[in-house]
Amino acid sequence: MSEKKLIMVVDDDPDLVESVSMRLVNDGFRVAKAYDGEEAWERIREEKPQMLILDVMMPRKNGYVLCDEIKKNDQFKDITVVLLTAVADAVTSTNYTHRDGITNLADDFIPKPIDMDKLMDIVKDNLEYCS
Amino acid sequence: MSGLGSVTLTPQIEHSPLFSRPSVLVVDDEKRIRDVCIKMLSSEGYEADSAESAEIGMQMIKEKHFDIILMDLMMPGLPGLEALPQIRSQHPDTVVIVITGYASLEHAVEAMKKGAFDFIPKPFSPGDLRIVITKAVTQINTLQDIANEKSRMRVMINHLADGVMTTDNQKRIAQVNPAFLRMIGYHGPRPIGLEVAQIVPDETMSSMIDQTLGALEDDYIDVSEELCLEKTSLLARCVPFKDRLRRTLGTITVLHDITSQKEMDQVKSDFVSMVSHEIRSPMNSVLMQLKNVVDGLAGETTRKQREILGRASEKIVALINLVSELLDIAKIESGLIPQERRAVQIVDLLEEQVAFHQARAQAKSIRLNLEKNRITQVVNANRFNLEEVFSNIIGNAIDYTPEGGKISIRVSVEGDYIAVRVTDTGIGIPEDDLQRIFDRFYRVKNAKTRHILGTGLGLPIVKSIIDAHDGLIRVESKLDFGTTFSVLFPIPAQ
Repeated sequence: MSEKKLIMVVDDDPDLVESVSMRLVNDGFRVAKAYDGEEAWERIREEKPQMLILDVMMPRKNGYVLCDEIKKNDQFKDITVVLLTAVADAVTSTNYTHRDGITNLADDFIPKPIDMDKLMDIVKDNLEYCS
Repeated sequence: MSGLGSVTLTPQIEHSPLFSRPSVLVVDDEKRIRDVCIKMLSSEGYEADSAESAEIGMQMIKEKHFDIILMDLMMPGLPGLEALPQIRSQHPDTVVIVITGYASLEHAVEAMKKGAFDFIPKPFSPGDLRIVITKAVTQINTLQDIANEKSRMRVMINHLADGVMTTDNQKRIAQVNPAFLRMIGYHGPRPIGLEVAQIVPDETMSSMIDQTLGALEDDYIDVSEELCLEKTSLLARCVPFKDRLRRTLGTITVLHDITSQKEMDQVKSDFVSMVSHEIRSPMNSVLMQLKNVVDGLAGETTRKQREILGRASEKIVALINLVSELLDIAKIESGLIPQERRAVQIVDLLEEQVAFHQARAQAKSIRLNLEKNRITQVVNANRFNLEEVFSNIIGNAIDYTPEGGKISIRVSVEGDYIAVRVTDTGIGIPEDDLQRIFDRFYRVKNAKTRHILGTGLGLPIVKSIIDAHDGLIRVESKLDFGTTFSVLFPIPAQ
């Protein structure tokens, strides 16, 4: 059995971060937490997580921009990024790809409100989880 | 016609009271000619005066305006040919007819060059005189009409709230109203004759005018652009104006201030995203917290507790859906949804929708079926919007059809439209409710619908989207037998 995988949860709502973390820990992952885009970048450099569960709408650097920066960074581009999008943002998220030269490079999306079971499936699929 | 302004104004312009008696001055050194002219003109209703020399004539002109001057060219003292340019410069509106002695054509030509309107050779009869005077009066009336029209036009344009600028076909400014200059922030000297680029720093307007001037003779062109200046947003429209041979003489640009409209849009947009983030996000996290408790992540729970938390979760989900739909409708109505439209294969889209809803239909043993019909025509639409339309209609059909029922979807071409019909064997819609199902928050309420969850915003959203795509939606229903929703989208012209 390999070492527990580290997943970072990034959202400006601490209750959401807490709820998702609780579930991840319950399913055998290690969790790191960040509450805005800038903070997330600092923690990513320090802790080098395998996966990022990343909210789109955040203060100090939104999720699209952060995702774009990670995926264009040779050192961190292998981190799996799952974006949390609000349902009504589906239009915005496709629209975003045309703006400011930012392409949407996330590995997966999950709409809010988050279906916890679906989120766990996505996490496990992407991390080839083995217990 | 019941219009006030144009009806009462027009006759005044055509029969201006000033010209009910045109005034004529006869300048000739021969008394006999003066007398004949005065007699004839007075009998015809003109106000006639006479002078025996050009000097006296010039004096009289200084004191009084004459509409017509009849002047002999060959007189002692100041010759008529020399008096003519002075009269023309001092009284440009006065029509001068020269009397030439002994059919001297050279003098007549010379006088015409110096601004005479016509000439009458001696000897002439009262009939000859009547002809030239009548012609002159027509000319005066025409000139007066043009002058009045110009004045009316100038006053009208200068008092418009919208900016108006006319240019010639070399992009030089021929006319511009104060509103236009204020809107573009020009405070320099009178700009008539300057090039547009000299007073409008923004290149957009200049290129709009180029585009308008460059249009082909027979093309009707109307160029519209939004201009964003420092603090104002302007909507500019540029059209050409043409002569009778359809040659472009120049352009007219109209500016409309849309700053406050833009600001309102921004306020709406900010409000929508505020609601989205500040209301939906906390509800989302409440939902997850409840789920964690229900799933036992926060310790053991009793069955009763789980049941209560489950019901609380359902209420939260319903609230989240309501907020999402309210946001959708607000966005559609304020035009915030980016209407990126592409050719959409409607049959493909419906296949995906049927696949998506199949699980829910099967759970109620409902046969959900798309009749295979290859339609090659596409509609020009926003794909996400269309998905929302059909997801709503098919979802409703499943909700309102009892177990074991049937929902069939047919696509066909009807004239210039692609028609999609969704027919169910559901409970039907009572006739009284049919008129109101597209109203916001309206829900058919009876014993059969009591257990069906909904916000009453689904169909209003559907209708808004269809309206925005110039489509049509119709509904036919028979109580206890079923309902058919027909959605028609125009097929774009090739």
